[in-house]
Amino acid sequence: MIEQFFTGFGMALRLDTFVMMSLGLFGGMLVGALPGFTTLMAMAILLPISFFLDPIVGIPFLLGIYKGGIFGGSIPAILISMPGTGAAVATSRDGYKLTQQGKSRKALDMALFSSVFGDTSSDIFTILMIFPIAFLVMQFGPPELFAVLLMSLVIIAATSGNNPLKALVMMMLGLWLSFVGTDPLGGVERFTFGLFDLKSGIPLLPMLIGVFAIPEVAAVVMRNEKTRQLSALMGERLSAAEFKRCLPTICRSTVIGTAIGIIPGLGQVVAAMMGYSAAKNASSHPETFGEGELEGVAAAEAANNAVNGPTMVPLLTLGIPGDNVTAILLGAFVAQGLRPGPQLFEEQGPIVFAILIAMVFCNLLFLVIGYLSIPFFSRLVTIKISVLIPLVIVFAFAGAYVFRSDTVDLLMLVGFGLFGILAKIARFDVMPMVMGFILGPEMEYAFGQTVAMANGDAFTFFLTERHGAFGVLLATPIFGFLLWKRMQKVTG
Amino acid sequence: MKDLSHRLSPEVLVLLVIAVAGGLGVLFIDALVAPPKLLFGRALTAITPSLFPVIILSAMTALAMLALILLRGTAGADRDAALTHGEWRRGFIFFAIMTFYALTMEPFGFLISSIIAMVLLSLQMGNRSVWQIALLSCVSPVLLYLAATRLLAVSLPELNVIELAYARLLGE
Repeated sequence: MIEQFFTGFGMALRLDTFVMMSLGLFGGMLVGALPGFTTLMAMAILLPISFFLDPIVGIPFLLGIYKGGIFGGSIPAILISMPGTGAAVATSRDGYKLTQQGKSRKALDMALFSSVFGDTSSDIFTILMIFPIAFLVMQFGPPELFAVLLMSLVIIAATSGNNPLKALVMMMLGLWLSFVGTDPLGGVERFTFGLFDLKSGIPLLPMLIGVFAIPEVAAVVMRNEKTRQLSALMGERLSAAEFKRCLPTICRSTVIGTAIGIIPGLGQVVAAMMGYSAAKNASSHPETFGEGELEGVAAAEAANNAVNGPTMVPLLTLGIPGDNVTAILLGAFVAQGLRPGPQLFEEQGPIVFAILIAMVFCNLLFLVIGYLSIPFFSRLVTIKISVLIPLVIVFAFAGAYVFRSDTVDLLMLVGFGLFGILAKIARFDVMPMVMGFILGPEMEYAFGQTVAMANGDAFTFFLTERHGAFGVLLATPIFGFLLWKRMQKVTG
Repeated sequence: MKDLSHRLSPEVLVLLVIAVAGGLGVLFIDALVAPPKLLFGRALTAITPSLFPVIILSAMTALAMLALILLRGTAGADRDAALTHGEWRRGFIFFAIMTFYALTMEPFGFLISSIIAMVLLSLQMGNRSVWQIALLSCVSPVLLYLAATRLLAVSLPELNVIELAYARLLGE
């Protein structure tokens, strides 16, 4: 493991990796800073670029977009009280008040420093923890894998929106879509309706761009959004004393964000809310929260960025994407021929470490680029939407086409986009559908092997031979219910 | 009639479609899934290709029905979230432009189809500056095409005559 770590360290020290990470960070901040545009949209549209780069260059490029985008979302949240991402909602509470008090520069600096602190700490934790967890996962057989996959899907459904039943329906729909094409066990055609284009299944890329990026663009078009007025970037920079005063809050939020990141489905929004609430509860002056308190900005930003690293733990060890952003990352891994799961550490250990170490380097670049470019990104909130929308659409179509060079993929992109906007109108979350689609083949494979091992008597098999898997299956509905109740409490 | 439209909210409609599709999927599973491959009269796998889909489709139908029953009392309650006529119209035009773009990219080539789509989208978004639209829709597809085909070495559909013009322009 130590040898793999050092090999990975050497692999991460590539100039092109640093260049692409910087481009990714810049692109992420740029998109995050545009009101109405999200990190998810940027990642979905720019995902195809990573396919044509080396894994140690392409995946850090996407991670750069991810990290930059989460911070970028806090810029419009602080300056015009319009969070660029869901994760920045908690930031806007105090951030915008600080802007109104003429302290927007302080708020943005605090957002940047606490983001980098939270992100770096959680990335180091991820590097330390990922190998022991992967070793544990290597002991899993098909029944354990099936039980864990089922539990992950239930957790994602429980934490997705207000209605877990609707999330479960969407998950089943995703699983159904994953059956289209050739059966992974028997090699026979299913749900293809005799169409040649469906024989190899539904491609992931048009689905990702379609359900994540297109509905967001469509929402901007339908609302007929224009530009917003920006009050100038004002006030002094953040002082060392102010940062020191907020350090205990930043550390607390980092721990909260790290813990939440490991659990699939919870994500940045919950982390930011919990970090903010914990800071307010622990404060000796809770009445200042919501009125322009720097600690409020620090708490939310450290917590939502601390989620980034640990979400890689279930992704890399089990192949389970914790949220929609990691689902896109999974697409990048698979396209690069790297199938996340315990065997990835055996076969490609140095590459995994190189990517994880690149995440830490990315934070250092994040600090420098963010610090220097805050004034530039602050101007972006006034850019004309009518210029951006056509560009985003052309990028989306070109991205969906290049992977398979098939026009059918473009029609699928439009179809999934239409489905995504209808789901949005009907208040269905598409994330469980994508998770079901991604995990479907693996789940069916594990299910088939488990049935074969059980020799037709699954109950006795689980009860007598697979206690761990049986325990996970029993705990799944209870854990899902508890998480759903907790989510309802946190999100109000 | 008013009561019916009140009950048939987008949420209920989506659930109904999913429930019906799932039910039909289970009913016609033998027509939708090919029979398992046999070797000397024995199946090659422990489960038939239709077993897992039947479980999932049955569960999906049951969950959608359950959601419909539980939503009975609340369906249509959230009328504030309903879209206005103008929003529906803008959404329809947007998807019409995207469908047109998807259908024309191969026969018209990337440049021409992108120019048309960008002009239409710019106009839809309220941009009335001819110079801005012309600059945006002519320059960005060319730059994107050259970046994709020359830097990333991936293919985008293009007419031979335009591809030849690019090659001449770049001195290839």
